[in-house]
Amino acid sequence: MTLSKYEIEYAQKVLGRKLSKEELVLLEAEWSEHCSYKSTKEHLRKLKTRAPWVLVGPGRDAGAIKLFDDVALVARIESHNHPSAVDPYNGAATGVGGIVRDILSLGAKPVLLVDALYMGSLKTKHSKWLSSNIVRGISDYGNRLGIPTALGLTWFSKSYEKQPLVNVACVGITKPEKILPGIVRPGDPIILLGNTTGRDGFLGSSFASKPLDEKDLAAIQVGNPFIEKLIIDALLEAYSKDLISHVKDLGGGGLGTAVVETAAQNNVGVVVHLDRVHLREPDLEPFEILGSESQERMIVVPKEKTKLGELFEIFDKYELEYSVIGYFTRDRKVRMYFKGKVVVDLPVELAVSPPKVSREVAKPSPKPEKSLPENVDLREAILKVLSSPRVSCKDVVYEQYDWGVGGRTVLPPGYGDSAVIWLRDGTKRGFSAAVRGNPRYTKLDPFTGAALSMAEAYRRVAVVGAVPLAALDNINSGNPEKPEQHYYTVKMIEGLAYASEMLEVPIIGGNVSLYNEDERGSMIDPVTSVLVLGRVDDVSKALSTVPVGDSPLVLIGETRPELGGSELQEVLLGEASGRPPEFRPLEEKKIAKFAIEVCRRDLAYASHSISLGGIAVAVSKLAYKGRVGVTLDISKVCRCSPLQALFSESQARVLYEVKPDRINEFLALANEYGIKASIVGYTTKNEDTIRFLYNDKEVVSVDLEEISEALNSLKKVL
Amino acid sequence: MPKVAIIKYPGTNCEEETLYAVREISKLEGRIVWHSDFRAEDWDAIIIPGGFSYGDYGRAGLIASWSKASEEIRKAFEEGVPILGICNGFQILTEIGILPGSLLYNESARFIARWVRVRVHNPKGPWLSFVEDNEVLSMPIAHAEGRYYLNELREVTAGPWLEYLENPNGSVGSIAGVSSKDGNVLGLMPHPERASFPWQAPRPFEPGGRKIFESIGYSLRR
Repeated sequence: MTLSKYEIEYAQKVLGRKLSKEELVLLEAEWSEHCSYKSTKEHLRKLKTRAPWVLVGPGRDAGAIKLFDDVALVARIESHNHPSAVDPYNGAATGVGGIVRDILSLGAKPVLLVDALYMGSLKTKHSKWLSSNIVRGISDYGNRLGIPTALGLTWFSKSYEKQPLVNVACVGITKPEKILPGIVRPGDPIILLGNTTGRDGFLGSSFASKPLDEKDLAAIQVGNPFIEKLIIDALLEAYSKDLISHVKDLGGGGLGTAVVETAAQNNVGVVVHLDRVHLREPDLEPFEILGSESQERMIVVPKEKTKLGELFEIFDKYELEYSVIGYFTRDRKVRMYFKGKVVVDLPVELAVSPPKVSREVAKPSPKPEKSLPENVDLREAILKVLSSPRVSCKDVVYEQYDWGVGGRTVLPPGYGDSAVIWLRDGTKRGFSAAVRGNPRYTKLDPFTGAALSMAEAYRRVAVVGAVPLAALDNINSGNPEKPEQHYYTVKMIEGLAYASEMLEVPIIGGNVSLYNEDERGSMIDPVTSVLVLGRVDDVSKALSTVPVGDSPLVLIGETRPELGGSELQEVLLGEASGRPPEFRPLEEKKIAKFAIEVCRRDLAYASHSISLGGIAVAVSKLAYKGRVGVTLDISKVCRCSPLQALFSESQARVLYEVKPDRINEFLALANEYGIKASIVGYTTKNEDTIRFLYNDKEVVSVDLEEISEALNSLKKVL
Repeated sequence: MPKVAIIKYPGTNCEEETLYAVREISKLEGRIVWHSDFRAEDWDAIIIPGGFSYGDYGRAGLIASWSKASEEIRKAFEEGVPILGICNGFQILTEIGILPGSLLYNESARFIARWVRVRVHNPKGPWLSFVEDNEVLSMPIAHAEGRYYLNELREVTAGPWLEYLENPNGSVGSIAGVSSKDGNVLGLMPHPERASFPWQAPRPFEPGGRKIFESIGYSLRR
């Protein structure tokens, strides 16, 4: 139980009586951190959430933007960290299930799944078990739904040895006027659709609102992707016939939360007969029915009562179970009955308004930057960085995901800086999505780190030619009751607020996962995953990361000696220290505009946004992907040491393979946009070496075979 | 205009993109037909698309093969209606017994989704009429149960068949697809509908599935 003594007393004082067992369960869920955001609400207000193209901002099951006049994008991100730590397979799988139902709740068709995974070192049996089962859970569940998992991010660090972070997102499409407005009227019946209600996942929401306990296995939901797929198909068919006015996922807090939140948003009351819910086990007690988080369940409110028969016909066609469990009322009370007896009778207002909590923040003392060893061997450094699991190719992960179902995927994982999804509607229109998060940056400086998550995703979307339109964030951090941990949460929100303001990208939804601490009470490395969505006018012009060869390589942007929090630092010293690279919003904006124009004019063959591992990683990956030779003159990257030039993680940089006959136009365009462009090397067909020069003199060369071996090191351990 | 039925079972998930390719590339009339509504006599060609019919419970394609649609599909087969089974559709055709062999779990015991190249041998029939002998086509695969197995390979290699250039799943003889002797029925694990438009194929691949949809369009309108 996470409800505090004070909170119980507060509720009983308002009511003037004792709470029933069922009411306790309802408030336990509603007032949990997971549902109420009580520790972060006041800070989340600082986020920029508006723009003329935003159709639905934060607060509903998902956010929505106008992508084109006739197309809306619907998106949501959510974490499933706590369940995945205890039962990685089901925890990750049901994370996918829940996020898909959120998209359905706005009346949209889900077309893209995204996952950001932060997992352990892969050096212990436990972290391997967690990691491989998280991936398998997403694969087994997601693939069966017919929604491509075409975008992701995979991080490995010992900080997540026992506490992995599983952030999942889903994007859907619909017509702007078809978005379900979330409106219900008194008298509207409530249908519970889908899976039976069982004992699994009882009060998972409050389980996620406290530190983990080994005995929490019963709080994990078990998923059934086949039922979920039938729900998707049935609802889309019902939407196309205009039979439904409101749908809500039964997520954290189960049935109680779903009906109470709908009632609260509509200023109405609700009556639910718990004994009418179709059950998995017949002996479920009313409090269990109320708080169960069994998966694949949704509440559905029909548009017209006279067309209920037509709606039920669709459910029957897909052989889905459903029951009519109650209705909305005028009186703004939530009342629940079990076999004729009132078990819950609360004002809706009370159920959604936990007493205020006060949370303190305390700034931890910064660690000074440790210096790198002298005389680092460049060749060794390059291969070490490339074989780090964070840098290494992730095909062993994403090849387990059906990234191509739907026929919309234009840049599969590994082929582009972001996912590009074609609308497949008789045009070449589409959208792009990128997700980023770097726990090293947020640990060293949560404000800058969170801003950089957004900047990187923003840049990656622009690099494939998309106009960034909206962002969603998933904050993962520690215990809000501990000031030195809550500091990170607050600073990450502030960093996001600053980035969204400066980059002019509204945040249309988010999720906050707190209490991510280990059994000793220390916080995992806090991190904010940011998903950015952009508009693509012509998917056939999206730039991939596969070069052609015999073309110049041009570096866009300024390289500074920024090695704080870098991959090189961690690989050489075992931990990050100092300050992460600076967030430079004005440079990011100029580069994004430039990148979009490069795609529109078709000036380049390939590109790679530079981040993790610096330009050393960017050239290596380009060479590997295109099987071309590369020559790179380090002295042209920046006026700093070779090590800094190669591994600096300065942001706002992109490496391009430019079409030889368009190089002058490309450079003139960069000049026009006021950004630095330097020819730093070239690619060569039919060659199999990367040569690094310094002032035209070769300092080190690495065979593609060695590069390939290093980049494929993840396969050997996962 | 000739009509193509795309049969949907509970859990089928590639029906829409398949329909899109039939309309845009084959230039044929296509419709998604719920399995229990399917009648053989209404259609000039049949496609069983990919997905996870009945969640792949038991064995991929097994439960779908018990649908009463199977009888209708068999009737169409006997009447010489062209039939294409893609991925799960291929699995269903082997379960019904219209195509020989079976599809077992991948050697890696994992789901694999990646672009592959296949060589087409002895092309023949309405699905491969535009494909040259030994021509190499690129398409993505996406399956967990795609390891083709058959005792007597000569049974299929005498007719049209598809061979992986790099065997991704341990299929015997690197078989990616097989066909009836006359080429009227084709089953393959790669997804032609995901390789039908130039932008679906990342460098260095070409949209190799396009020829299959062009072929059936040409064959039915001829």
